[in-house]
Amino acid sequence: MARILPRPKVLASEPYFEPRSIDWVKILTIILFLAPGFIIMFTILYIPVIQSFEYSQYRWNGLGPLERYVGWENYERLYDTTQYRHARLFREATKHTFILMALSLTIQLPFAMLLALLVGRGNFRGKKLFRTIYFVPYVFSDPITAILWIYSLHPSGLVNTILESIIPDYQKIIWLGSVENPSIALYAIFAVLTWKYFGFYMILYMAALQNVPKDLEDAARLDGANEFNVLRKITLPLVGPTIRLTIYLSILGSLQQFVIIWIMTEGGPVGHTEVLGTFLYKYGIDGLRLGFGSAIAVVIFCMSLVFSIGYQWMVLRQDYRSLQAQ
Amino acid sequence: MKRHLLVLVILLSILVVPLTGDQSASVEAQDQVTIRWWHIQTNPDQAAFWEKVANDYMAMHPNVTIDITVLENEAFKQRIVTNMQAGDPPDLFQSWGGGPLWQFADAGLLRDISDELEGEWRDSFSAQSAVEMFGQDGEYYGVPWSWGAVVMWYNKELFEQAGLDPENPPATWEEFLEVVQALKDAGITPIALGEGDKWPGHFWWVYLAIRCGGEEAFLAAYTREGSFDDEAFVCAGERLVELIELEPFQEGFLGLGYGDEAAAFGDGLAAMELMGHWAPGAHAENSESGGAAIEGKVGIFAFPTWDGAHDGLLGGGDGFVIGKNAPDETVDFLRYITSAEVQREAAKIWVIPVIAEAEDAIEDELLRQVLQIRNEATYAQMYYDQFLPPAVGQAVLDAVEGLFAEQYSPEEAAQIIEDEASFELD
Amino acid sequence: MTTTVSSLPPNIREETAYGRYVLNGFRYGFLFIVTFIMLAPVLLAFLGAIRTSSEFQARPFDIPRRGIQWHNFTEILEDSNFWLMFKNSLYITIGATVLTVLVSSLLGYIFARVEFRGRGLLFNVVTLGLLFPFVIAILPIFIQIRKLGLLNSYWGVILPLVAFSIPGSTLILRGFFRAIPYELEEAAYIDGCTVFGFFYRILLPMARPAVTAIAVLQAIAAWNDYFLALLILTDESKWTLPLGLMQFQGQYGTTNWSGIMAYVTILMIPAILFYMVTERYIVTGLTGGELKG
Repeated sequence: MARILPRPKVLASEPYFEPRSIDWVKILTIILFLAPGFIIMFTILYIPVIQSFEYSQYRWNGLGPLERYVGWENYERLYDTTQYRHARLFREATKHTFILMALSLTIQLPFAMLLALLVGRGNFRGKKLFRTIYFVPYVFSDPITAILWIYSLHPSGLVNTILESIIPDYQKIIWLGSVENPSIALYAIFAVLTWKYFGFYMILYMAALQNVPKDLEDAARLDGANEFNVLRKITLPLVGPTIRLTIYLSILGSLQQFVIIWIMTEGGPVGHTEVLGTFLYKYGIDGLRLGFGSAIAVVIFCMSLVFSIGYQWMVLRQDYRSLQAQ
Repeated sequence: MKRHLLVLVILLSILVVPLTGDQSASVEAQDQVTIRWWHIQTNPDQAAFWEKVANDYMAMHPNVTIDITVLENEAFKQRIVTNMQAGDPPDLFQSWGGGPLWQFADAGLLRDISDELEGEWRDSFSAQSAVEMFGQDGEYYGVPWSWGAVVMWYNKELFEQAGLDPENPPATWEEFLEVVQALKDAGITPIALGEGDKWPGHFWWVYLAIRCGGEEAFLAAYTREGSFDDEAFVCAGERLVELIELEPFQEGFLGLGYGDEAAAFGDGLAAMELMGHWAPGAHAENSESGGAAIEGKVGIFAFPTWDGAHDGLLGGGDGFVIGKNAPDETVDFLRYITSAEVQREAAKIWVIPVIAEAEDAIEDELLRQVLQIRNEATYAQMYYDQFLPPAVGQAVLDAVEGLFAEQYSPEEAAQIIEDEASFELD
Repeated sequence: MTTTVSSLPPNIREETAYGRYVLNGFRYGFLFIVTFIMLAPVLLAFLGAIRTSSEFQARPFDIPRRGIQWHNFTEILEDSNFWLMFKNSLYITIGATVLTVLVSSLLGYIFARVEFRGRGLLFNVVTLGLLFPFVIAILPIFIQIRKLGLLNSYWGVILPLVAFSIPGSTLILRGFFRAIPYELEEAAYIDGCTVFGFFYRILLPMARPAVTAIAVLQAIAAWNDYFLALLILTDESKWTLPLGLMQFQGQYGTTNWSGIMAYVTILMIPAILFYMVTERYIVTGLTGGELKG
């Protein structure tokens, strides 16, 4: 088979191969190679997402045909908090999503960096073991994670048992359904998410830290800089591109949180752990309102699109550039 | 290199075979039919009973295969929505009638059995109003097979421990609140509740709404002559808050589910529970003691009332309805399920029969009492979360959860429901 | 760090040695605490699985005092449904992984090695997919899968899984493909190799770490998928293990704690084993692609 085709002319950067006439073989190759991917991407992802904009203009329970055109009403129900309960709930869900996001950026990522420094630098016994253990939860499915923690956070579960044994006069905390302090559930959820995901960020940081030249740090030490200053002035700026990338991934990840929260609390108690994902599922899919659900999807999608393009354009672009220059 | 291709081919063939292998199932003798049946009786005794019913029927009708899927309640509710969206309803499945069912019916996903139902079959039902929950505009999609009521269950032993008279349960709301306080003072959790699932708590509010406004208030709100923020519904919230302020529920009730509720009562850790006639089965199934901890100690009483309050019963039950693609034999099987023979057998375990002929078969004293309460009721209100359109039902659940969590005032809770109702019911 | 210490002036050397001593003490202490937190829930599952439910409920963390309850495991493993779901999970995982590798290596090759007008644009079209959060796209995808008549089929789960992983996998592979020297390509063509031949015989083998990495990552994603399967696989005989776990939990959630912990343990073991075998590929995949820090 190899010999039947004419000599290929698809080389990337070879002007002397360049023919004046149209190179059909090259075009055909490109089309054949790109087709499977593009067909899948378009039929499964892009076209449906574009169509959801159309659905969002209808009141539709998904069972019958699209009939009741309502224009922008579904969007107003997300926006007009004075008139609509859903708008208030949506705003709450957005708030909780942003809280998770803020916590991820201020606690989860620095924590991952701290551990990347502790595990990744220097040679000591058990280094690889620590890395392996910290990353393990990443390979567990969401149902496994959620179930492990439902039983750990149960009023008489693992967490309270341990805290009882180390803190004298410990007042049992109801993690996932407290009447006095229902918002604690969101922080408990955040802890679970950190448990699952920080290892992922730690690995990214460790890879970046490995590439920081030792001589630069040592030179600074010779100049009398203490470890903290070395870290702040030399090391962290050098892993800047990775930090900026993890910020990006972490924000997108926060927008996507769904399964673990759904299994653990279904957004409760009283919507205190409702995030964008659970809101969409509860009021869009479960409530049999696919038109309204599509409107929610469109709004969340636009939010992540704006953020994503903005962030790539303003922040990540320099990193891409410097990468390409290397 | 050849070897790599070979691996690829093998991998692909592993994939392709099972992916296409399904057609073989449809190549069967023509008169062979399979009925896909979904029920939610996860309790081992009850599940075994349905299995026996299916086996008996298959023995009588060798051409019928009944394929049973047992789903847990919450999982079932999620699943059925998905299957309906897929246009692939099971042939025979659990339903509580009312709004959600009609929505499926409007989409043409259910089979109209009114012709088969008319006449002898229909006349055999003692609970005619229950049959109405499975039809609209003269079309019927299924029938009830158990119809009971939501009542107060209480643990006589715990009552005694708190110095209360176990044979004299509270009749008025005031007495009831005193009993709650007495239990609490004795260090006993007065009420088991799994508000994490939301529907158990909504029974409380709906019952109070019945007491506050009766049938008139609900019908007015439902037909949009009145509204769900009318006095009666605010009153329900206010009464409920009186109870909630006593903090009568078990630790962490907001985050726990119905299973935990049944476990708490079934293990004798809570003194009372407001629940439907299926409660004993759930106690046995969910509790660690298998129900042994409360064996012979359980009593029931009617939901408390007060001077000037309306009579009325929060009732409802279970039915089976038939999907659009179901083979004809499904209707006959459903008829068999509601036959006197099966109903009498079922009544011995946990079912409150829907046909008069089977009523005397109930052996359990408590179920007999529930039946009596059901038959004496002048007005039976169906669960809101089932009777109303799904979105409004969801708003009721959310609003009542907010009351239990002390997040909403009674007025706010009523307003939340009205907002949704004004949108859906016009 | 150790090698450079001797070259430093004495005062710094002492400080560093002392600092290292303190640091190591602090380091181990802290790392062990974190290790405990990471492993506690996993250990909890195991300790729950080998004891009775009442032992477990009374004391979440304890050794078995009534003998090891192997039946918690055997009851699950003897259930034919479990193996049916295992098989379903396996089919979906293999299907999604093979398809992802095939499709995204073709894309990655074109975007890395073949120049043509509009390449940048098309590449952006592919990477746009990175911006579609799963939970948001799930509703449109569900409607689309329904339209295509793929509900309740393995393909209905496989295709969305592939669609979601194409952008990331293509990005990673493109990075690797670009790093392969052009001289090699020239030489191959001079020897009469076809485009496909070069791609298949030279490029793919040379990028094997990256190809393995995306395969491993996709296998994990497919094996763990719960949400797609929940919506798309309506027939019990098509269910995957995560669905089985949730069904089991719904059914026995309040009584048979040990059974659930056994189920969780059974599902964790292959995940952990797979992870230990493929760890270096996972790390390559996550860190070694285009966006190497």
